Amino acid sequence: MINTSYILPLLVLFICVIALLRRVNAYHSFIEGVKDGIFLFSDIYPALLAMMCAITLLRESGLMEVICNGIATYIEGIPKEIWPMVFFRPISGNASLAVLVDIFKTCGVDSLQGIMASIIQGSTDTTFYVITLYFSSVGIKKTKNALPIGLLADVAGIAMAIFLTVWFFG
Amino acid sequence: MNVIWLLIICITVLYCLCNGRVDVINAVFVSVGKETFDFVVPLLCVTAFWNGMLYIARDAKILAALEKLAHPILKRLFPDLKNDAETLGYVASNVIVNMVGLGSAATPMGLKAMQGMQQHNPHKEEASRSMVTFLVLNTAGVTLLSTTIIAMRSSFHSLDVTGFMPFAILSTCFASFVGLCVDRWWNYRD
Repeated sequence: MINTSYILPLLVLFICVIALLRRVNAYHSFIEGVKDGIFLFSDIYPALLAMMCAITLLRESGLMEVICNGIATYIEGIPKEIWPMVFFRPISGNASLAVLVDIFKTCGVDSLQGIMASIIQGSTDTTFYVITLYFSSVGIKKTKNALPIGLLADVAGIAMAIFLTVWFFG
Repeated sequence: MNVIWLLIICITVLYCLCNGRVDVINAVFVSVGKETFDFVVPLLCVTAFWNGMLYIARDAKILAALEKLAHPILKRLFPDLKNDAETLGYVASNVIVNMVGLGSAATPMGLKAMQGMQQHNPHKEEASRSMVTFLVLNTAGVTLLSTTIIAMRSSFHSLDVTGFMPFAILSTCFASFVGLCVDRWWNYRD
């Protein structure tokens, strides 16, 4: 098994060495990047608050558990905390991020559920959002088969994520 | 999205009212704002750091070099754009920037790529096959460096922040592979 803790330091080293060789004003670029990063707050916080509100209500009301238990009795082998993740991932990035936080809080970040949810979050992007945004930007009304293919890819990615977690961490 | 969001809130509130658990709802309304703030701020601080690093990579032309590497593959994936270097360039930047986990920076390039593809589109209201391929590639989201998840895991003090990465990369590649295969089989049979 590769030691993944080397990935990020090596990446930073690689970027900085190239920047040094090409005489880039890296300090300036870094400051710019962080500045743009901070501005994300006004985009992320409102959207996440909306999603957190819905997800927390779902959990605290006990409705989430009722639904997840219902599904878990039919399909075994997948931790029931994972199901909200599977449903929200294709719909909204912020919603699935909120579910991810929820799983980290209730099950722990290094638990099987925590790792599985992290991998699912990384496995696909938000199909509905991307399709709506990109097609509406150029005025396309008939999206042909983009949605079914996108969702199929999501299912494939999520299934692979679950399989890999159970295989290597279970 | 709007409808789903409203439905979730209405149903859960009604469910709580019927079960006589009004105090639960009130507690959520009071605490959810601060709870969200508490995880967005550390998350943002880590993301801001990676944003800085990736801007160095961009200015050092590392991203441009990766885009060049991706060109031959993309030419095969988008045969309709073979003669449009500009649009293909936007597609390449979008895919590469998505790969390094700068999703929000990738969107403007993606929109430019869509405009480029629309020029070649014979039916302006119907998606062309290049568009479908592009969107499948985007929704499968080939992300090699998921800065948000790394940030999230470190803000929850994970003992193994990057352990998920190889598996996430495998799954995301598998998702894209399946998506592209279905797209080929469905849209390019003739």
